[in-house]
Amino acid sequence: MSTNMIDPTVQPPVGPDTTAERIPTKQLSKWTLYTRRFMRNKPAVGGIVIFVVLALCSIIVPLVSPYGVSDMDFLNLSTGPSAEHWFGTNASGNDTFTQTFVGLQRSLMIALIVSFGVTAISAIVGTAAAYFGGRIERVTLVIIHFFMVVPTFLILALVSNDSGGDWRVISLALVFTGWFFPARVIWTMALSLREREYIDAARYMGVPGMRIVIRHLLPNIGSLLVINFTLGVVAAVGTETGLSFIGMGVKIPDVSLGSLIGEGAASVTSAPWLFYFPAAALTLLTVSMALIADGLRDALDPTSSAGGRA
Amino acid sequence: MIKYLVRRALGWLLMIVVATNVTYFLAWSFLDPRSNYVGRKPPLTPEQIEGLLGPRNLSETTPLIERWWTWFSGIIFRWDWGMSPTGGSVNSEIAYRMWVSAELVLGATVIATILGIWIGTYTASRQYKLGDRVWQAVSIVTMNINIIVAGLAIVILAINFNNWVGTRVFYVTGSSSEGVTGFFPVLIDTLQHLVLPTIALVLISYAGTHFLQRSLLLDNINADYVRTARAKGLTKPQAVRKHALRTSLIPVATQVAFSIPAIFTGGILTETIFAWQGMGRYFLTTINNNDVHGVVAVAAFGAALTAIGAILADIAVVVLDPRVRVS
Repeated sequence: MSTNMIDPTVQPPVGPDTTAERIPTKQLSKWTLYTRRFMRNKPAVGGIVIFVVLALCSIIVPLVSPYGVSDMDFLNLSTGPSAEHWFGTNASGNDTFTQTFVGLQRSLMIALIVSFGVTAISAIVGTAAAYFGGRIERVTLVIIHFFMVVPTFLILALVSNDSGGDWRVISLALVFTGWFFPARVIWTMALSLREREYIDAARYMGVPGMRIVIRHLLPNIGSLLVINFTLGVVAAVGTETGLSFIGMGVKIPDVSLGSLIGEGAASVTSAPWLFYFPAAALTLLTVSMALIADGLRDALDPTSSAGGRA
Repeated sequence: MIKYLVRRALGWLLMIVVATNVTYFLAWSFLDPRSNYVGRKPPLTPEQIEGLLGPRNLSETTPLIERWWTWFSGIIFRWDWGMSPTGGSVNSEIAYRMWVSAELVLGATVIATILGIWIGTYTASRQYKLGDRVWQAVSIVTMNINIIVAGLAIVILAINFNNWVGTRVFYVTGSSSEGVTGFFPVLIDTLQHLVLPTIALVLISYAGTHFLQRSLLLDNINADYVRTARAKGLTKPQAVRKHALRTSLIPVATQVAFSIPAIFTGGILTETIFAWQGMGRYFLTTINNNDVHGVVAVAAFGAALTAIGAILADIAVVVLDPRVRVS
């Protein structure tokens, strides 16, 4: 057990880990096992392919595209897809193809940062509350329940409107309003872990509380955290898109998928391509992430038989 | 049991009061009602602006704690939620918008929950069979489609459908038409407006219940007490419905309660897409107009919906779990 605890990504969740124990060469074979299980889930593999293609495009397209994100082509105002402008142009003559991928890049960046922050904070708060118990646990739960009552979308809108649409402020606000629900889920998971013998052992050896949380509890919910991270990306993309759509998130000259869709919504009958392409990018992104999360769940969960026998 | 529910309700009421007051202070730190009058033509003198804002309890020359008490005591003693910077009463705005939103949010919640439980039960009884796989694929996609994309896609489909039929079957904007009278015409008109936004909300929110119900039921379906029930002569569907389903509904009820804020947020976006004059649109207007009192009222409404959901979940738990009744 001791070697597994150091690497948070390779440890399956709570429960006996019989499948992995039988493989002779430990570290490597574990990865092979997870990869093999993951690869057996065809939709998840499809999800990874879509996600990688989207991510690569969002990096490459803005670099190689002949049009800048706010360049205006006055000969093509609100024209449909053509050889010159693959995804058409909007009313100001911006190239939708470039804008879609720049917007995707911005949305993706916000989502990855936010999901990482949310996962880290919720993991530490959730496990610490479960481990220390008593008053710390009660106070944490009251805070979490309190935040669930405050309409977080309102706080987000106030903060990001006040910041003038700065994506860094939006990311921070999303982290701050996003951690409590995952923290509550992680707390319930960690409750059963704190009763385990190795936790007792560590305590009797005099390991300080916070180090037990970080070195022994967190790695053992590693797989849950990986899944939470991927689902967190979906959630963060959704919230950011919603905010930008109502004009309270990312603002011009910066673009995100939400602000593009918001623009497209106004002309959905006259210039539908302004809606179709960003909407397709957004849907592909969230659905691919969800498929990956589903595949990870099958691959990392030792009791699941959805992926066949390992 | 009544005592238990009353205690829970009081706890939630306290939470709402605290949350609303915190929002009041938050709103003041982000919004500035004075900016509504700055840059007017002809320009207003500071005294004139003061004369407009002061009586509405929106002037920051009054200490914040004093403003807060005027506002808070107004609600407690007169149920008066204050005035907007331009002079409208928040109460009268909320009075009709509240029902517009509740109609949408609660309707969609009920339909999504029933649909989710039904699909969850259906798929759990057929684990890894074709029906399960198909619903799994469908739900993963619908759950992760953004509400905005879903809403706009439905608008496009509905417009095409209307053009194809040649008459207006679905309305894509507004919550009701003007000048419709009589019980049945109003009912039909309401449904014509309600059906599209409700479909959009149900589409993205049923899947959460589906997945939870499926996995909970799978935990219970092979439990001893279900096998005992079958041994006593019940068919499998009967045993699932009468025994396994009951146990697994409890966490589902809790999840539905906590998903109501998310549906409310979805409601804000849906109302924007379908141009409904509900709380969601009001929320946007109040932020843009620096309407502190309006913003706080929206927050209170959102908190109240959460609490209603949670209390309904508590009632469901009491009904479903006999052990709660004893304690």
